[in-house]
Amino acid sequence: MSINTLSSSLISNESIPIEDKTEIPFEDRIPGNRGIWVGIFCVLLEFFFLFGVYLVAKVHHPEAFSTGPDKLVTIAGTTITLLLLTSGYCMVKAINAIKDDQRTASVRWIILAILLGLGYPIVKYFEINWNIEHGVDAEAGIFYTVYYYLTLTHLVHVFWGLLGLIFVATCTNMGIYSSKNYSGIEAAAVYWHTTDIIWLVIFPFFYILR
Amino acid sequence: MIGHAERIWLILIGLTLVGIFFAETGHAGWLLTMTVATLIIVKSNFVIDYYMDMRSANKRIRNILRFFTIIIPVLVILVHAWGDEIRQLTSVF
Repeated sequence: MSINTLSSSLISNESIPIEDKTEIPFEDRIPGNRGIWVGIFCVLLEFFFLFGVYLVAKVHHPEAFSTGPDKLVTIAGTTITLLLLTSGYCMVKAINAIKDDQRTASVRWIILAILLGLGYPIVKYFEINWNIEHGVDAEAGIFYTVYYYLTLTHLVHVFWGLLGLIFVATCTNMGIYSSKNYSGIEAAAVYWHTTDIIWLVIFPFFYILR
Repeated sequence: MIGHAERIWLILIGLTLVGIFFAETGHAGWLLTMTVATLIIVKSNFVIDYYMDMRSANKRIRNILRFFTIIIPVLVILVHAWGDEIRQLTSVF
């Protein structure tokens, strides 16, 4: 998903005041706005095909995929999982806070989510350095080629998510969002949670399954 | 006091550690494949239901998300069960 799509979803005119949302049948409520969901489904489709590539490569090279995780740093993958899940939790708290018109608390939760999210590229940086020092580069075998391709593609989407969170943190601080209109924060949060869901598949694929 | 969001967060962290425990204690094969597939489905749906708050949201969007979180683990199981057949199906030559 491009940054333009993400940013336009966060400031979309589709933002519906909460009073109006109550007129929509409850089960038809769209968290965030329609624009962000178009982007999210594009991301899911992209990763669906990438996971297909992983599985096809796995059936053709079972030995490489059976031993591949042994050379990766499990603690790095685990730390990224914990960072993303905790960052997602912070966004849940940020939305709860803005629903109660606690703007300052909401901004603080979003900033905490951003800081935890920034831990991901930092851990990834050290992990890749460690990998390269130990001869685990993209040419070390089919498993590692797929590993680098999938994880770095995911990292790009995490960057878009982080930019979205920085944007909504600024908007919230400026008083643009309130308990009556918080669809921008919700849009950024659902995109952020989507990167969580994708990582919850990537993590066992490369660090656990043998 | 632990609230609802905290409970969900703790469950997600706990399930993550369960998966790692299985892998690091030398489990492999069917047991690990089924554990991983189950954990992907359970954890992803916790995120969908409680983090994204999709329980009360548009059913079509929710079902597409659920489909994604179920089809991938199902494919993992199929690959484990019928790897040879799938290899032949996906071979160009």
